[in-house]
Amino acid sequence: MLKMTHLSKVYRTEVVETYALRDFNIDVKEGEFVAVMGPSGSGKTTFLTIAGLLESFTGGEYRLDGIEVRELDDNARSKIRNEKIGFVFQSFNLIPDLNVHDNVEVPLRYRGMKATEREQRIMQSLERVGLASRARHYPAELSGGQQQRVAIARALAGSPRLLLADEPTGNLDTQMARGVMELLEDIHREGATIVMVTHDPELAARAQRSVHIIDGQAVDINEEPRFHNHAHARVASQQI
Amino acid sequence: MTLPPILAALRKHKAGVVLIALQIALTLAIVCNAIFIIGQRIQRIQRPTGMNEGNLFLITQMWVGAPTGDDQASGDKMDSLLRTDLAALRNVPDVESVTAMNSIPLLNSSWTNGVSLKPKQQHSTAHAAFYFGDENMLKTMGVQLAAGRAFTAADVQHRSFRAEDKPPIIIVSQALADKLFPGGNAVGKSVYIADNTEPSTIIGVVKRLQVSSADTWTNDFTWNTVLEPVRLNSNFSRYLVRAKPGRLQAAMKESRAALFAANPMRVIDDSAEHNSIRSFADIRAKAYRADRGMAILMSVICVILLAVTGAGIVGLTSFWVGQRHKQIGVRRALGARKIDILRYFQTENLLIAGGGAVAGIILAIGLNLWLMQRYEMDRMPVLYVLAGVAVVLALGQAAVFAPARRAANVPPVVATRTV
Ligand SMILES: Nc1ncnc2c1ncn2[C@@H]1O[C@H](COP(=O)(O)OP(=O)(O)OP(=O)(O)O)[C@@H](O)[C@H]1O
Ligand SMILES: [Mg+2]
Repeated sequence: MLKMTHLSKVYRTEVVETYALRDFNIDVKEGEFVAVMGPSGSGKTTFLTIAGLLESFTGGEYRLDGIEVRELDDNARSKIRNEKIGFVFQSFNLIPDLNVHDNVEVPLRYRGMKATEREQRIMQSLERVGLASRARHYPAELSGGQQQRVAIARALAGSPRLLLADEPTGNLDTQMARGVMELLEDIHREGATIVMVTHDPELAARAQRSVHIIDGQAVDINEEPRFHNHAHARVASQQI
Repeated sequence: MTLPPILAALRKHKAGVVLIALQIALTLAIVCNAIFIIGQRIQRIQRPTGMNEGNLFLITQMWVGAPTGDDQASGDKMDSLLRTDLAALRNVPDVESVTAMNSIPLLNSSWTNGVSLKPKQQHSTAHAAFYFGDENMLKTMGVQLAAGRAFTAADVQHRSFRAEDKPPIIIVSQALADKLFPGGNAVGKSVYIADNTEPSTIIGVVKRLQVSSADTWTNDFTWNTVLEPVRLNSNFSRYLVRAKPGRLQAAMKESRAALFAANPMRVIDDSAEHNSIRSFADIRAKAYRADRGMAILMSVICVILLAVTGAGIVGLTSFWVGQRHKQIGVRRALGARKIDILRYFQTENLLIAGGGAVAGIILAIGLNLWLMQRYEMDRMPVLYVLAGVAVVLALGQAAVFAPARRAANVPPVVATRTV
């Protein structure tokens, strides 16, 4: 589904070049639920933005659902984001000017979907996250957990094959986080591929597989258990 | 994106929307009325007098030591001075023809009177301006005869400008002829000038000839003119001269020399104020100076108003783009193409400007009605309002383009990177 090989990402500012990712390799299979962990600044968000076609990369190769991403122009990237990918952000990112219903509708409109089908999907996905009764509320009138569930409903409405979540529970208390996590597991069971960045080892443990990103490189824990300890040692030393 | 979600989002920005819509409404109301006024003034400025205006110039001069009495001897002396001048001017190589006249169109020196169908009518049938000149008057002015005949030398009399005005024959403009005799065939008919009991017979009709003032008090009879075959005698005179084609400047210079050569006892005041040898183009420009000033003022007001409104739209949209930076990134992340974002802002502006335009149409018509009542303005044709609507909508779309393009260039990564 998602395969990066020798991928690198360099951020250039006037003074420094930062390698956010270097010789980065990952292969996420169709239908997998992958948790991504790693210390702050290690490149998790960078990986996710590149995976979600929100940003271009500097070197290497990235194939998404069999498509060579490097060759795509801006419109093609927009189309893939719209049709194949669902995003869930740490800070929810609902549009404050629009009510819950209209927020969920945004990606469907960009897809050019007919009104009747839009309505059906909006109600379905809002029911799914348990917020159908709040359709006419504005984001400011909802709790953090409710807002994140609306964001998940928005990501689900277009039935994406790939769901990318950047610390979806980062701004939520434990109970709300559990609710969101259960929702993601549900969605996964129905066949979606999920890549979720999290700092919470407990949540990560519920994924099928954990990938650690350290210094811009991916370390697959389940595949190399010995390297696992080594990696944690490096994390510890970095955090001191 | 289609309208409902854009409208829904606008509801959250009422203050800005109302402010800009109101500004657009006011701009529309003022601009289309101003354009209407400009159009009317330009039409006034450009209307032809009925003369062949190229190559014409006017000399105004005064004899020093000429007799001033109303007696026959004084009259004859003044007329001989006049005829000497006419002969001198006719001999100037670059002069094609010349006539002595009391005034000409647009000179702002008017002689007007009532014209009646019956003697001693309580209210005259029409009001008209009067021109007095010799047998060369029609030819020199270059007015076109529509019916009847021009004056001949035998028709021309001379009299003191203070003597009674009782011409046996006259020529009238078509407009006056139509007013007096709506049935047509004015030639051969008799009319009565002022309180005259003696009739004046119309011997000819000219197609078009404007009165000598462009001021508003002549608006009711702008094209009503009467020509009389008379050389008016006084101690000053006016000569309308037609130069040979392309020889206007030379003829003006030579005429001056010729007059002084024939009789040095005269004053031709060349000061800028009097400018007593003037081309007709100059006379026309001066006559419509106020109209031109008004048209320029209105144009400047329009330009300023449009610029201010455009700047307001640019400012507000830029502010909104900044304010919505994050949500634009989110929209991009959710699949909006650049063109979708651009269209969003263009459509949003179209809605605001459209609302403003609807209010503006009402204001524009109201303003026109008020101007009609207070300042005798004409009714503005709907076309001007529609043109105004097109102008403000186009202005809105143009003004919003730069900020909208900046919005379209907000990268989708903003969705993950900013808080
Ligand atoms: N736009 C940018 N310009 C320059 N450097 C950047 C930019 N974005 C990220 N970086 C750098 O790239 C590196 C990786 O950042 P990234 O956001 O991917 O880390 P992260 O693993 O998501 O961290 P966190 O857990 O704190 O969210 C960091 O060193 C960061 O400073
Ligand atoms: Mg991050």
